[in-house]
Amino acid sequence: MAITVWGRATSSNVQVVMWAIGELGLEYVRHDVGHKFGGTDTPEYLAMNPNGKVPTIKDGDLVLYESQAILRYLAAKYGDAQFWPTDLATRAELDLWCEWIRTTFQPHFNYKIFWQMVRVGAAERDEAQIARDAESLKPVTAQLEKRIGAGPFLNGEYLCWADIVVGHLLYRYYTIDFDKAATPNLDAYYQRLTERPAYAEHAMVSYELLRVP
Amino acid sequence: MTLKIWGRASSSNVQPVMWCIGELGLPHERIDVGGKFGGLETEEFRSLNPNGKIPVLQDGELIVWESRAILRYLAAEYGDETFWPEAPRNRAPIDQWLEWAKTTIDEALITGVFWGYWRTPKAERDMETVHRHWTDVNAAMAKADARLEERAFLCGDDLTLADIGFGYLLYRYFTLPLTRPDRPNLAAYYQRLTDRQPYREHIMIDYHELFGRLDF
Repeated sequence: MAITVWGRATSSNVQVVMWAIGELGLEYVRHDVGHKFGGTDTPEYLAMNPNGKVPTIKDGDLVLYESQAILRYLAAKYGDAQFWPTDLATRAELDLWCEWIRTTFQPHFNYKIFWQMVRVGAAERDEAQIARDAESLKPVTAQLEKRIGAGPFLNGEYLCWADIVVGHLLYRYYTIDFDKAATPNLDAYYQRLTERPAYAEHAMVSYELLRVP
Repeated sequence: MTLKIWGRASSSNVQPVMWCIGELGLPHERIDVGGKFGGLETEEFRSLNPNGKIPVLQDGELIVWESRAILRYLAAEYGDETFWPEAPRNRAPIDQWLEWAKTTIDEALITGVFWGYWRTPKAERDMETVHRHWTDVNAAMAKADARLEERAFLCGDDLTLADIGFGYLLYRYFTLPLTRPDRPNLAAYYQRLTDRQPYREHIMIDYHELFGRLDF
């Protein structure tokens, strides 16, 4: 049975789920809701997800929201031992980088730099602040650079669920023009991701619809 | 094997890990670092966690940092079928509420209100922003209150990892000197948590030493 996903393709949280679905080769139906599509405040939607956010999925009779919980569910249910390592110590070390992305990299990059450069209009944009944020992002990105190493992926030879969390923001990171740290390992890692059809389809999604001119 | 945890007891990120260890009854040793204890800049600590933050867990050869990754590891390794079920379909709803607490309340309460209000000296407080975060926190608490109307705990009759990821916030929520709407189900739930010895030991930790202190 196909998995139903509610959420606009431009949402980075939806992209996490869709890229995983793509990598796992699962059948799905996706409905555009959220942002300019609306539809997250209807009684039907709120009955599934009282927070009124995207994404929400339905798999059989299971309704689930919160993108990271969805990702771990899909990985555990449909992933093989490469995508969702069975060794708990291996999984924990990868899981900490998933958390690090969200507690350390994402607030810095997504909510500061990306937000300022895309979702704030040119008239209100604070270029000096962007320059300061870009500078303080550099040591953060350097931590990831070190962890990626030669790769090719976070757990070695095969892509796993943690690559989805770490990689899904890199399209935005690399396509926005700001002063970045020199990160040859991360550059090569991103290049490898872009060669994956599921990444190209679900994570390399234009954010021009979100841009405030 | 005794678990080793680095992190001061007053840290809101250390507390859920310690509570979880307490609930699971695991032998452990906690080392005070961070805050007034310092020690996060040393080479030794950075070799454990290059990000320089607490908590850090050592279990045998394994080093884990980031509190929620630690929680999921402890639950998977040491939790029973009720606390953190094995089947994805049964685990997912618990994981969803664990995430919900993080994405919806954690930042608004800890960063927005606890730092913005409690830890910021009075003269420097931006009360408009604090109140905006407090409103967000209370809106989320209303959802928890509705959820708890028919359940003793977030995901049923028993304590699960979701309760650890949410409940640790309630001591500060209920004790900060701010006005709260009346939420009877949430209040009864908090009462049930305070009846638990590991909650009292690891979560109900006086935070007056952090008042007006932004420096750690």
